Amino acid sequence: MKIEKLLHKLQAFFDTDKHKKRQHIEALKKILLKLKKKERKITHALQQTDDDCLIKHYQTELEIIRIQRRKGIEVLQLLKERKKLN
Amino acid sequence: MHKALLLIVIPLLSYGFWLSEEFKGIAAGVSIFLFGMLSLEQGFKAFTGGVLERILQKTTDTPWKSFGFGFMSATLMQSSGLVSVITISFLSAGLLDLVAGIGIIFGSNLGTTTGAWLIAGLGLKVNIATYAMPLLVFGVLCIFQSGKQLKGIGYILTGLGFLLLGIHYMKESFEYFESTINLAEYAMPGVKGLLVYTALGIIATIIMQSSHATMLLTITAVSVHQITYDNALALVIGANIGTTVTAIIASFGANIQGKRLAGAHLLINLCTGIFVLLFIKQFGIAVDIISKNLGIAVSDNAMKLATFHSLFNLAGIILFFPLINQQVMLLEKIFIEKRPAIFEPKYLDMSAMDFPETVVESVRLESIHLYENAIHIILHTFGLHRYDLQNNDSLQQLIEQNNDPIEYDIDASYEKRIKGLYSAIIAFISQAAFTWEMTQSAKLSWLREANKHLVEAIKDTKHLQKNWVRFRTSSNQSVINEYKKIAYQIVLHIQQVENFRHEIEDNELPLLSLDTLKATIKNDDMLMNRVIETLIRERKITPETGSSLINDSSYMRSIKKNLLKAAETLFLHSSTGNAGVEQQLSLNETEINDVVQTVDTK
Repeated sequence: MKIEKLLHKLQAFFDTDKHKKRQHIEALKKILLKLKKKERKITHALQQTDDDCLIKHYQTELEIIRIQRRKGIEVLQLLKERKKLN
Repeated sequence: MHKALLLIVIPLLSYGFWLSEEFKGIAAGVSIFLFGMLSLEQGFKAFTGGVLERILQKTTDTPWKSFGFGFMSATLMQSSGLVSVITISFLSAGLLDLVAGIGIIFGSNLGTTTGAWLIAGLGLKVNIATYAMPLLVFGVLCIFQSGKQLKGIGYILTGLGFLLLGIHYMKESFEYFESTINLAEYAMPGVKGLLVYTALGIIATIIMQSSHATMLLTITAVSVHQITYDNALALVIGANIGTTVTAIIASFGANIQGKRLAGAHLLINLCTGIFVLLFIKQFGIAVDIISKNLGIAVSDNAMKLATFHSLFNLAGIILFFPLINQQVMLLEKIFIEKRPAIFEPKYLDMSAMDFPETVVESVRLESIHLYENAIHIILHTFGLHRYDLQNNDSLQQLIEQNNDPIEYDIDASYEKRIKGLYSAIIAFISQAAFTWEMTQSAKLSWLREANKHLVEAIKDTKHLQKNWVRFRTSSNQSVINEYKKIAYQIVLHIQQVENFRHEIEDNELPLLSLDTLKATIKNDDMLMNRVIETLIRERKITPETGSSLINDSSYMRSIKKNLLKAAETLFLHSSTGNAGVEQQLSLNETEINDVVQTVDTK
C-alpha cells in the first residue's frame, strides 16, 4: 500500500504539465467568478446612478466584462475538452 | 513686494506727492525707468535662441571680448550707466552670463572716459535724453507689427526710450537740488578735502544721473579756479562711484543675476575709487608725466582731468580685471538666489545603485511620488483636492460649485512639485547604466517613459487651463456645460485610475479593468466630438468656440491616455499571480472598438 501511494505521489510530482493545466483551470474559474461578482456590482451601481458619464462608463464596463466572460468560458471549455482527451 | 508693505508704501508715496512736486517727478522718473527696464527685457527675450544670442555669444565668449564690447558700446552711447542697464537686462533675459557681464562693465568704465576727453577737448556734451522721443515713437510703431522679431525690436526701442525719459524726469526734478550745490563752498585742502569732494562727486552724480554732467561741472569749476585741482580729482573719483546708481536702480526690476552685476559695478568702481584715493599723489604725478608726453599744457587742468579719468579707470581694470572669477564667487555668496521650496526625491538613494533590482524599485517609487504630485496639480487646476476623490457622488457637484476666479499657477507648481523630481529621476536612470542586465535596463526605460507621460499630462492640463478659465464664466451655458464636462471626465478618470491602483493591491483583476478604462477614453472622446458638432449645427455655440472645444477635448483625451499609460507601468510592476490568465481574457484593439460602437448604439 505504502509503495503504491509513494508511486502515485511520484507520478503527480513528475506530471507537472497536468498540474499546470489544473492550476490554469482553477485560476480561470476564479477569474470568471470574480467577473460575475463584478458584473453584479456594476449592474447595481448602474441602477443607482443618474449621472450620464457614469452610466456610459458602467455600460462600457458591463459590455467589456460580458466579452471577457465569454472569452473565459470558451477557454475553459477548450481546456476541459483537452483534459478529457488526455 | 509683500501686500502689507504695499499698504504702507502707497499712502507714504501719496503723502510725498502731495508735499513735493520734485518728489513726484523723481518717483515718476524711477517708475518710468523701471518700466523701460521691463520693456527692454521683454524685447531681448524675443531674440533669445536667435540672432542676438549668437551675436552676443560670439562677441562676449571671452572676458577680453566682453571688455571690447563694453568699451565700444559705452563710447558710442556715451553712457556707462546705460550700458550697464542694458547688460543687466541681457543677464535677466538669460542672454549673458555674469563673467561676460562684468567684462562689459570693465569695458564700459573705460569707454565712458572718452566722454571726458570730448568735454575737455571740444566742450561737447552728448545729451542722450534727446533720443527718448524718437525711440518711443519708432518703438511703439514696431510693437504694433505682427512679426515676433519686429515686436521685439519695438520693445527694445520703447524700453530704451523709457529709460532715457526716466533719467530725464529724474534730472529735471533734481534740478531743484542741483541749484543748491555750490562746489566752491566746500573747497578745502588735504585728506579731508579729498573725502568731502569724493562724497560731493557721488551725490552730484546720483542727483544729475550722469557722470558726464558731473565731469562738465568739475571741468568748468576747475577752469575758473572755483575749486583746486586736487579737489577736482576727488570729484572725478566720486562721479565714477556715483554713476553706479543707475545700475543699482535698474537691478530692482532685474533677477538675481542682474542684482549681482549691479553689485559688481558698485564693487569695482568703489574699490578702484578707494585705491586711487590711497595713491592720489602718485596718480597726480603719473598724470603730469603722461600729460607732458601728450603735449598737454601744465595749466590745462581740464585735459589733465580727462587724462586722470582714463588713468583712474585703467588702474581699476589692471587691478580687478584678472580677478573676474573671484568676483563672481564673491557676488554669488553675497546675492544668494532664493529658490522656491521644491520637492526633494525621497527614494533615490545612492546606496540603491549597488543592485539592479534596488535601482529599478527606487526609480519606481520615486516615479509614484511624481505621479502623486502630477495628480495634485491636475486636480487643483479644476479646483479639487485629493481627498475629494474619495467622495464618489459629489465630484460633479464640486466642479459645478467651483467658481474660484483665481487661476491655479501650474508653472509655479510644476517648478516646485515636478521639475526637481523629474530631473533627479532622469539623472538617476542615466547613472545606472545596466547594459549587461537587459531586463533592468528595459524596466528603467519604461519607467522613464512613464515619467514622460506624467509630464505630458501636466503640459496638456496647462494648455487646457487657458480655455477652462476663460469659458467657465462665459455667458453661453452650453459652453460652460461642455467645459465642466471636460473637467469632470478628467477627474473621474483620475478616480478610476486610483481604483485600478487599488484593484492591483487587492488582486481584483486589474489587467481586465484596463480594458474598461481604454474603452471609456475612446467613448468619451467620440461622444464629446458628437456633442460639439451638434452644438455648432444648432448654433448654440460659434464655430470658433467649437474649435476651441475640439482642441480641448483632444487635450482631455491626451491627459487621460498619458495618466493611464503611466499608471500601467508604475502600478502593474509585480502584477498579480493570475496575470497570464487575465491576459488571455483581455480585449484587443478591435474588440475594444466594437464595445465602444455597441455602447454608443444603446
